[in-house]
Amino acid sequence: MNKKVISIVLGIMCFALTFGICVQVRTVKNSNSTVSQNYEENNLRAEVLKYKERYENKYRELEKAEDQLEKERQSSTQNNEELERREEEIKKGNKMIGLSEVTGPGVIVTLSDSKQETNSVLNPSSLLVHDADVLSVINELKNAGAEAISINEQRLVPTSSISCGGNIIDINGEKVGAPFEIKAIGLPEQLSSLTRQGGYLEFLRNDSIGAELKKSNNITIPKYTGLISYQYAKTVE
Amino acid sequence: MIFIAILIGCVVGALIGMNAPMISYTYSSYLAIAIIAALDSVFGGINSVINKNFDLKIFLTGFFGNAILAILLTILGQKLNVDIYLAAIVVFVGRMFLNLAIIRRYYVDKWSNMLKKDNKETSETED
Repeated sequence: MNKKVISIVLGIMCFALTFGICVQVRTVKNSNSTVSQNYEENNLRAEVLKYKERYENKYRELEKAEDQLEKERQSSTQNNEELERREEEIKKGNKMIGLSEVTGPGVIVTLSDSKQETNSVLNPSSLLVHDADVLSVINELKNAGAEAISINEQRLVPTSSISCGGNIIDINGEKVGAPFEIKAIGLPEQLSSLTRQGGYLEFLRNDSIGAELKKSNNITIPKYTGLISYQYAKTVE
Repeated sequence: MIFIAILIGCVVGALIGMNAPMISYTYSSYLAIAIIAALDSVFGGINSVINKNFDLKIFLTGFFGNAILAILLTILGQKLNVDIYLAAIVVFVGRMFLNLAIIRRYYVDKWSNMLKKDNKETSETED
């Protein structure tokens, strides 16, 4: 057997081998699953990861379908004034109820848990950001004229709820953890009045909770990823 | 020559693997078992080179056949809820140790022969 051929074949095999090992190591590292000794636990974790992936794939398909729908709609309404007006109405409605991505000037409020030691205060619970704190900040933002709000990329829509879920909070049924980055689109000068004396951010800072407000001219708020379904509310003719 | 080729293959594979796209987590268990099978084939190949009975056809079919069979067994195990891939790992790793032992023995023998020869030569020159 020719020695050159042997060495080339073995070299290629080793190339494939190390390539596979590197890809595998990176995949396992990326899924950040710490290997537990418990067989059951590992299986459950793998299952969850699989379902997550499947969900993401389906969601991508949905987005593609929506893009196609948008294109179809545009091509079919091109030469009809009445339909074009309706199309504009749909777009406006989607913007209002949070079904389209919006961008504009506004503020970013960041709420983070206090960095103080838990045994340095009487009530450790006062060092955490609670669902009520987030709700109050949202209320103040709406009061100051915010047009679109998202918390850690979760868009607030008319049917959104914010509730306590243990050490995280539930927004739109999705789990969201601290630090909370609340983005709001509106007039930045008006929205930044949240930092006024006696405002809710001041109140949070007194409890040594991190509450930062940053003005920005370019904020992008994602669209709502869930489904808004109206079963009981009927339009009055 | 052969070891230089293996070294180059390993380094290039590692460099490209670092920058390659990741596979989805669903298939990572199949890739893992394929890696073990390939590792076994490479050690087997080195062993056959040492024994001077290297056959390209047998080596290539073993490389792909073992990997595919191991993956199929893993899939079957998942369907039957039995960890069949453990059996494949036991066989492959057992063979890996066996091949490694043969390779080790060959080089230790070669090395000790060389030492003996050297000693003889030096003793002859001393006499």
